Amino acid sequence: MDPQNDLAIPSGLRNPADLFFQKETIRRTIIASYWITILLALPLWWHTTSIERLPLPEARVYHQVDKPISIPVRLCLPQSNTDLSSRLQGALSARVPKGLEVVVESGNCGTEKDTYVVSPGPKKIVRGRHLTTPFDDLEGLTQTIVSLVAPSDVEQEKQTRVAQFASRYRLAFSLLNEDASSGNGVMSWDVQKGIHQQIQPLLDVLKPLHNFTIESQVQFYAPLEFDLRPTDSGFGLSYEDLTVFINSAEWTLSSSASNDPVLHFILFVPSASHTPLRIIDSKSSAFILPQWGGVSIYNTPSIWSTQQLSDRGLQRAFSTFSTQLSYTTWHSSSPEDTGLISQWQLDALIRRRMLETAKGTRDTLRSFIKLANQLENMPVREDVRNDIEGSLDALEKLYNSASTSLSQSFAYSAEAFNLASRAFFNPGMLALLYFPTEHKYAVYAPLFASGLVPLFVSALRELKAWKQQRAQSR
Amino acid sequence: MLPLTLLHLFLGLSASLLGAFASDHQEETVKGFFGRNGTSQSTHTNNWAVLVCTSRYWFNYRHMSNALSMYRTVKRLGIPDSNIILMLADDASCNARNKFPGSVYANPGRHLDLYGENVEVDYRGYEVTVENLIRVLTGRVEPSVPRSKRLLTDEHSNIFVYMAGHGGNEFLKFQDNEEISAFDIADAFEQMYQKKRYNEIFFMVDTCQANSLYSKLYSPNILATGSSQVGENSYSHSSDKDLGVAVIDAYTHYVLELMEGINKTSQSTMQDLFSSIDPNKINSHPGVRSDLFRRPLDKTLITDFFGGVSQIEVVDEEEGVEEEAGLAGGNGEDSVSSTATAQARSFVIPGRRASRSKRHTEPISSTSTTTEANEIWGWVGSSTRTWGAVALFGGLVGWVRMRS
Repeated sequence: MDPQNDLAIPSGLRNPADLFFQKETIRRTIIASYWITILLALPLWWHTTSIERLPLPEARVYHQVDKPISIPVRLCLPQSNTDLSSRLQGALSARVPKGLEVVVESGNCGTEKDTYVVSPGPKKIVRGRHLTTPFDDLEGLTQTIVSLVAPSDVEQEKQTRVAQFASRYRLAFSLLNEDASSGNGVMSWDVQKGIHQQIQPLLDVLKPLHNFTIESQVQFYAPLEFDLRPTDSGFGLSYEDLTVFINSAEWTLSSSASNDPVLHFILFVPSASHTPLRIIDSKSSAFILPQWGGVSIYNTPSIWSTQQLSDRGLQRAFSTFSTQLSYTTWHSSSPEDTGLISQWQLDALIRRRMLETAKGTRDTLRSFIKLANQLENMPVREDVRNDIEGSLDALEKLYNSASTSLSQSFAYSAEAFNLASRAFFNPGMLALLYFPTEHKYAVYAPLFASGLVPLFVSALRELKAWKQQRAQSR
Repeated sequence: MLPLTLLHLFLGLSASLLGAFASDHQEETVKGFFGRNGTSQSTHTNNWAVLVCTSRYWFNYRHMSNALSMYRTVKRLGIPDSNIILMLADDASCNARNKFPGSVYANPGRHLDLYGENVEVDYRGYEVTVENLIRVLTGRVEPSVPRSKRLLTDEHSNIFVYMAGHGGNEFLKFQDNEEISAFDIADAFEQMYQKKRYNEIFFMVDTCQANSLYSKLYSPNILATGSSQVGENSYSHSSDKDLGVAVIDAYTHYVLELMEGINKTSQSTMQDLFSSIDPNKINSHPGVRSDLFRRPLDKTLITDFFGGVSQIEVVDEEEGVEEEAGLAGGNGEDSVSSTATAQARSFVIPGRRASRSKRHTEPISSTSTTTEANEIWGWVGSSTRTWGAVALFGGLVGWVRMRS
């Protein structure tokens, strides 16, 4: 490379400067190509190591969740008494919970579909959407109407026994013999008939709210895991015994085929040595475990095995189950409830569930946005965003249709709730684990340091040589 | 006049006070019958437990027995298997080095076999990973995960989370492979809080430097305790001469000793549990974090977290009889129509189940078709690549041969 040093090269040998691997251009091209590859690969590395976080419609979510929902309740008094109707509206608006809006009209009734008609009469009768009650005083009338339109559930214990809202429920009916070999086993029961007579009407009434799947089983050996205390007339269960009655370790109570919430209903037949079994200090022999289901105890009248549960026993058991089911799917505290629920109560239940799901949807969306902002490593993908958008659309439709059709708006609110839950629990949204900076250095350094150092050094050397050449050629 | 008005005032006040007192008294008797005995003010209705043993291999036998003895305790006190998520590497009982195969013991005398029967391990072997633990806690599991492997809690559930293994300052080692950090656990609990998946959590850790693992928690209603402070190790308690390994950790051993005296209706409190552990005996200083917990520790029962005790309500059965009358009489129209259609309904029930299961699997089928397409393309690609490479190699060899 020294132009002044003109060597005479003997034949048979070649000029070192002409050897292709000593040519500068080749060397520089090689080094440059390494660097160009690295530069071209940088976007690829960035893309593959970045977390996919699609932008969420935050503003829309905040706008939607702050909107209050108000469900109108229309009452109509057939006799034109505007004074009474306005006073009644005022009294009712003060008493109903937030979210319901009461409108009382008087005069011509029967124009709109979901109007409740209240007319005076000697005693309280509820039929369909029609209430006949004495119009003695405003307070009593208000009380009656409030108990039908929005039964309040203020007591804490009663509130926890109503199951959470879910669109699908499984009902598991079990006939458990404590020890069928002890002599008084009940071998089977006509569960289809029991369901058909007692449970199915209730399920039909609740059809707009939930989908129910039913399963049933009979077990012949289901021991209790605690000792029973003897009483004068047999055996007794105290309150503490009831809390630990379910021996979940040894009883298999429901199939685990699906992920829907399960309500269990158990008919327990104590063995011959433990009959009769009663609950101390109580007339009844049935109890509810909140959010789980109910148990009813059947003492066989005599000590021999029966092939099938007697009709009377079946009827009693299933009517108890029906009561327990009604307690766990809704809370009924109105004084007028006569078993199968009336249209007033069904509407009140739909309204309650609608408010509950709307509130649940708003809470879920709000906390989802908060989480997505808080956990920077949480990926947000296409399907999650679609679910959020779908939920917001359903919420909008709910707000628009809340004043027109009750069942339609409930369907929207249930859809919004399910979509928001599905978005929140999307399995692809796992927040990537926390990597402090030291970890990142510790991972990347052994991989790249040994390769990058020669590249840097050679590039710098070439740059220096090139600068030197330019300086010398001037 | 004045004394008369004063007298009236006094009478009025005393009457109202008496009335208030009387109704209070009545309310209390009623509450006492239906409410829980004792002073617990907990509002939970069900209990869950997540028990994790994060180590594998024979020499970590004691971590396995820690988790299994907690499992036995929690089951004995009433939490059913469906409410327990047990994660174990599960390689101790049937290990080739186990002199007593099929069993795991927690004390040198081999009094109680923890593993032999009635054990349901939900995540075993290589399924115990950090990702699976976080998925279980936050509920973000794949749709194909069965029900027994899910944590199906709601906002009235108390959860007991127990972790045992090897740990360090703000991390816990999972199966010699990966680590979970205190930040991840805090984020997981926060996600559970946002989606209202728990009422209260009791978080117990038995590892070295365990107290650092709960130092980053920030969600409310969590009570946390660890076996040793930062910079301290947690030690094992005793080893079995026949097995040749340590069989239980000291902190867990003393916790279990206390739990042996607890049954389902016990009134012992968390304060008793924490005060019963003597730092001199376990050679480390356990810690408690209760600033996020809203109830006082001496009013919180141990069975709030360890037991499956629930609230009960006795239902009047006589209502059922009246219901039938109501069914036949009052709402006549409804019942007639329902009995007419109920006949048809009862036969539709199995069909309804089938249609529902189809609906449930719809989202799964869409993703499966795309993965199938990917799989097919991948298979085609890999086979062409292999054959292309073979052809190229054969061509090269042939060319070299021909030249020489």
